[in-house]
Amino acid sequence: MKKIAAAGLIIAMLGSVLAGCSSGGKSGEDAAKGASPGGAAESATYPLKTDEKLSYWGDITGNLVGVKASHDEIPFFQKWQEKTGVPLEFTAPPAGQSKEAFNVMLASGDLPDMIEYNFIGDFPGGPEKAIKDGYILKLNDLIDKYAPNLKKYLQEHPDIDKMVKTDSGSYYAFPFIRGDEYLRVFQGPVIRKDWLDELGLPVPETIDEWTTTLRAFKEKKGAAAPFSVVSKPRFFNESGNGAFIGAFGVNRGFYQEDGKVKFGPAEPGFKGYLQLFHDWYKEGLIDKNIATADTKAVDSNIASGATGATVGNAGGGIGKWQPLVAANDPKAVLVAAPYPVLNKGDKPKFGQLNQAYASEGTVGVTTGAKDPALAVRMLDYGYSEEGHMFFNFGEEGVSYTMENGYPKFTDLLMKNPDKLAPAQAISLYARSSYNGPFVQDKRYAEQFFALQTQRDAVEIWRNTDAAKYNLPSITPTPEESSEYATIMNDINTLVDEMTIKIILGTEPVDQYESYVAKMKSLGLDRAIEIQTAALQRYNSR
Amino acid sequence: MANRQSFLSRLVRDFVLNKYLYIMMLPVIAYYLVFHYAPMYGALIAFKDYSPMKGIMGSDWVGLKHYQDFFGSYYFWRILKNTILISLYTLVFEFPAPIILALLINEVRKKKFKRVVQTITYMPYFISLVVICGIITDFTNADGVINHLFMFLGYDGQAMLQKPDLFRPIYVLSEIWQRIGWESIIYIAALMSIDLEQYEAARIDGASRLKQMLYITLPGLLPTITIMFILRMGNLLNVGFEKIILLYNPVTYETADVISSFVYRKGLLEFGWSYSSAVGLFNSVINLVLLITANAISRRVSQNSLW
Repeated sequence: MKKIAAAGLIIAMLGSVLAGCSSGGKSGEDAAKGASPGGAAESATYPLKTDEKLSYWGDITGNLVGVKASHDEIPFFQKWQEKTGVPLEFTAPPAGQSKEAFNVMLASGDLPDMIEYNFIGDFPGGPEKAIKDGYILKLNDLIDKYAPNLKKYLQEHPDIDKMVKTDSGSYYAFPFIRGDEYLRVFQGPVIRKDWLDELGLPVPETIDEWTTTLRAFKEKKGAAAPFSVVSKPRFFNESGNGAFIGAFGVNRGFYQEDGKVKFGPAEPGFKGYLQLFHDWYKEGLIDKNIATADTKAVDSNIASGATGATVGNAGGGIGKWQPLVAANDPKAVLVAAPYPVLNKGDKPKFGQLNQAYASEGTVGVTTGAKDPALAVRMLDYGYSEEGHMFFNFGEEGVSYTMENGYPKFTDLLMKNPDKLAPAQAISLYARSSYNGPFVQDKRYAEQFFALQTQRDAVEIWRNTDAAKYNLPSITPTPEESSEYATIMNDINTLVDEMTIKIILGTEPVDQYESYVAKMKSLGLDRAIEIQTAALQRYNSR
Repeated sequence: MANRQSFLSRLVRDFVLNKYLYIMMLPVIAYYLVFHYAPMYGALIAFKDYSPMKGIMGSDWVGLKHYQDFFGSYYFWRILKNTILISLYTLVFEFPAPIILALLINEVRKKKFKRVVQTITYMPYFISLVVICGIITDFTNADGVINHLFMFLGYDGQAMLQKPDLFRPIYVLSEIWQRIGWESIIYIAALMSIDLEQYEAARIDGASRLKQMLYITLPGLLPTITIMFILRMGNLLNVGFEKIILLYNPVTYETADVISSFVYRKGLLEFGWSYSSAVGLFNSVINLVLLITANAISRRVSQNSLW
């Protein structure tokens, strides 16, 4: 009896294996059929007329976490469908897990029509590989035929056109473009101005001044964690933009100098940075729990006055902390400090400066799309004049009013009756406070930065040489991408470990050289070679 | 030939005779086929460069490339060591804990007290892991509850999750706290099945309560303990990554980074499906070997075994 049952089981098993073989090969052919009826090259008139419902996968902005749970509850997305005339069915990954959810979605092979994702930053191998592997469509022909607004914009802005394309000249997504330089800087050192005034100190500019300042915060103001920064998942995330690290002439990743690509942690300047933070930590100038400090911990340290200096954003940083800290101490004022340098009068080498094309919030059309032409026409709306106003300011009469030709956000957004912060309220009606397939308008930021300190901050943080040293958004070739990822994965783990261990004093600063040797043995030179080639390809686009 | 025919005819006869039994068995067989055997075919991707758009069959064969990458990885020995050590510590310290708790509860005569203790001890099991880890992080902070306790005793406060030496103890101790109550249930159930007459007989012979525990309760529990132990052996390399990645940070990588967290960072975040499957398959094979070995040893030594 037992044996017979087992025999039956095996037969059934074989059957299921064979059944499995036959499925799984489809979906590739769908990519070929691109054209749909009625595709004229001239501007489409919105709303489009269609009965088709398209599916759309994308993150809900962090601004709305805890406010709205799905796209359908957000007025912007409802209006977007109305204005374009294309009904959409949204899927959103759980907050903070878009990468994992995206991964699972791809593995399932069941693709929606459109995907909003960062194909450069968060897709291993980059957009070229995403096209080659057959997830998203190469959009060149479709944009030519069905996206006159985007096409016009790119023709008028050849420098952005260069960023939006891949090395081989493929368009792969509807880009998010920061329409003005003013929108590209939003992060830097932040410090308690009221404490500085009280202690008779200037806003620190050099590293030595910073040391003096932090010491004074600790000794005279009783700050338990004078300097604290978000360190999840890695120590001092924001140092990626070169805050403090930049004073030593390096940053946390790759940069270019004298026509060469360099990796910051392997350059001698990095040791100076480690030494400084090691000394600061030892002296108690840095948060004792720094290795586990997440956003929540840093927020509460700043609010309670345990921390007097950090690195943060104008909107999500100063804008968020100012009311918190003022609630505890009415005199408290947070202001921006310039990116620190070693010698007074130097211009900071690095600082946060995003590319005009930031690669997040871009929308690709997948190979599974039922009607790619319709998706493209619908996405082109964001680059039309009407769409520009809608994406940046929402709907006239509701979220903004025109005053002398200037779109002014209404009180519904700026002084929200439900006590939502402006960043949150704007995200309900428009997308200018985060990203998406459109060109961001400077006039949003002018109003969004409600505090004078925020507007000043952007001007202070702008003063760096980052544009000269930062690498543009380059990607390895699809062939090199997995080799590059393997090398950099190991090296990044090593750098993360080295940085925090040396700073916390678990290992002496002298160990730095041995870590650099390890980076070399893990293939750093090869990674630099790949990056150099990628930069050359970019420059010759 | 004659033999085969007789097998077939026996098969048919068996079907006819026991047709209702077979029908009742069908859903169970279907369950195993669909959810346990069919997915095994997916393990093929461990030897391929899997791309969902090409499908499992369409992806290119790469042979043992992913295994070479894994074994050749700079961090391979470290994560293997960490995985085994964390597993062993858990086995040595956490595995006996629920047994001891069950024995203690068994000795308690007051019904009410017993129930209260049981409820309290298995409460943590039902709290979400994210919350548990949040609690642990808060408690072990430089100014957390545990450090306040130490400071009260005259020690210096320190952020415990920043000390590589403390990671494993924190992991194992919190594991005990989390699971002791839940896991003791099975032992308490086993205790119920011990014949009460044995105790009566022992008492008449003048055995103390300690003696009763040593000579009646423990031997009565032994088969359950053995089975649980063997099952545990089969999971030796599966240290769950959720708790690890919620608690670790780059300072503690050297003691905390295990196979699953490494694969999470490398496989899942880098979309290395094939790589993760390769490591998963490696884990399963080792676990299977351990399970079979433990089972064989146990059968030899104590006559208790899974099969």
